[in-house]
Amino acid sequence: MASTSSSTTPAAAEVEERGRKRKRADGAGSTAAGGAEAQPSKWRTRREHEIYSSKLLEAIRLVRAGSSSSSGSGATRGRAVREAADRALAVAARGRTHWSRAILASRRRRFQAVRRARLRAPATPPSRHNAAASAAATGQGSSAPPLAEKARMLGWLVPGCRRLSFPTLLEETTDYIEALQMQVRTMAALAEALSAISANSSSGGAGSSNSSAA
Amino acid sequence: MSSRRSRSRQSGSSRITEEQISELVSKLQDLLPEARLQSNARVPSARVLQETCNYIRSLHQEVDDLSVRLSELLETSDMSSAQAAIIRSLLM
Repeated sequence: MASTSSSTTPAAAEVEERGRKRKRADGAGSTAAGGAEAQPSKWRTRREHEIYSSKLLEAIRLVRAGSSSSSGSGATRGRAVREAADRALAVAARGRTHWSRAILASRRRRFQAVRRARLRAPATPPSRHNAAASAAATGQGSSAPPLAEKARMLGWLVPGCRRLSFPTLLEETTDYIEALQMQVRTMAALAEALSAISANSSSGGAGSSNSSAA
Repeated sequence: MSSRRSRSRQSGSSRITEEQISELVSKLQDLLPEARLQSNARVPSARVLQETCNYIRSLHQEVDDLSVRLSELLETSDMSSAQAAIIRSLLM
């Protein structure tokens, strides 16, 4: 089953190539940590289709919620889409990784805070931005080697991985990066398809000069 | 290099082998886009971690931009065209 063959960015194209290479390498039989070799191909095949259905539900619910209550500027709505996409991504991970559990846990807390805040004033501070800001501000390192410092920065970037051991952190990061790559690929393809469709519908459909293949 | 040695000394008690760590780091290095880092070359772990941080930040940024774009597109389209777009992008 071929994953999306159309790539919008060169980075995505390289990722596709690497994904195919890795699939062949895994098929040849690589001895690595237990379930790790199943993970890379997971984010590139069926899961991509499964996460699409989750994203679809989230996006539709968002549009309905957004249109019913004016949620403000495009940035707020964009952030809402981002959070929905992250949540769908975390759900697709099936709770096997720390970062996915952290995203789902924090979203529940933040959702309730957003509800209360919306009654007063529209203010939704994303915890990720706060964590990054605090990371830049403190920049402390208890252990001397710069490796530990970089690892700490990484722990802040990946949600829920601040207190993990180094090897676990690396594994989480690997999975998180692949998930992010898939998320970018998926959202880009969705945006292309959506813009192509809306362009077609606005221009009348038949005989439009826009190429239908995105 | 000395940092790696001290790290293995620290983590000797918790039984994390140097080999394990370097294998994980090289796996991480494979994921990074080739434009940023020359793969197949032995790059120090600190550099890999740094590039990883930068890469994650850029991915976050990309997702943010895509979210804004998607939110605008979803605003101006109805459900049926959104569903059609989903199916279309699935087939491509």
